[in-house]
Amino acid sequence: MSTTAKGHWNPYLAGALAGLVSIFSVWGAGKFLGASTSFVKSAAMLEKLFAPDHVAGLDYFIKNAPRIDWQWMFVVGILLGALLASLSGRTFKVQAVPDMWRARYGETVGPRAAVAFIGGVVAMFGARLADG
Amino acid sequence: MNQLIYGLITGLAFGFLLQKGQVLRYDRQLGALRLQDMTIVKFMLSTILTAMVGIYLLKDLGLIELSIKSTILGGNIIGGLLFGLGWGMLGYCPGTSMGALGEGRWDAVWGILGMLLGAALYAEAFPVMKKTVLTWGNFGKITLPEVLGINHWFLIVPLAVGGVLLFRWFERKGL
Repeated sequence: MSTTAKGHWNPYLAGALAGLVSIFSVWGAGKFLGASTSFVKSAAMLEKLFAPDHVAGLDYFIKNAPRIDWQWMFVVGILLGALLASLSGRTFKVQAVPDMWRARYGETVGPRAAVAFIGGVVAMFGARLADG
Repeated sequence: MNQLIYGLITGLAFGFLLQKGQVLRYDRQLGALRLQDMTIVKFMLSTILTAMVGIYLLKDLGLIELSIKSTILGGNIIGGLLFGLGWGMLGYCPGTSMGALGEGRWDAVWGILGMLLGAALYAEAFPVMKKTVLTWGNFGKITLPEVLGINHWFLIVPLAVGGVLLFRWFERKGL
């Protein structure tokens, strides 16, 4: 078994427990876990503030209506769950640039922000195209 | 309302476990993509193997129904390649970006903003995609056991055994 640092669990154990969470979610609420649809809904909610007519006319936003639903709350829960876990394990750490990035490209925020932003655009477009 | 509370509780549990498993970190995600650190793979595959057995058990007992997405080679392959490229740049996926923000790694914010723009752009592109990429190699809602014409347990058991053997290899190699 791999070594586990303080405040952390063995990845096999944490992963298997996450599998149990997904089983109970399907059994109890009929919901399979997913996250990326919530980004579509959030994008629609934001865009609606500026161009409500345009949003209302887009097929993809009709299919994924700008509404807070089970999955949207699931995604918010991930943030809160990670916050709780990191505080309880004393591993919460405010960090602007990840260690591996800093070792290679330095600690300037700009380049990391630019690459992360473009990566986010490309990754989400791909995720939606693959319907993942 | 109940659905929203279930969603929040499920997310809390899932996010808690992601953080405890250390899989929210950019360094771990890039470590997996660079084949240097298999923490992410250990976590993901443990989740998948556990859920695979549990979900099919519940299905056989008639307690749940599967929710199968269409296999569309055009969308799956091109979308998968784009997702991989973006994931390598961002170092977080949609769910883990929220978790990374929760544990204080706020470079995830840039990724979250980018993903919102990516989602908005996809909504604009969807009509074109629907006429082109999403018509290429559409096999509908198929599953492996169906295509092979065998009982699903003939796939689940070998996949579970294969997963455990892979884990043993990771540990022997110190990955």
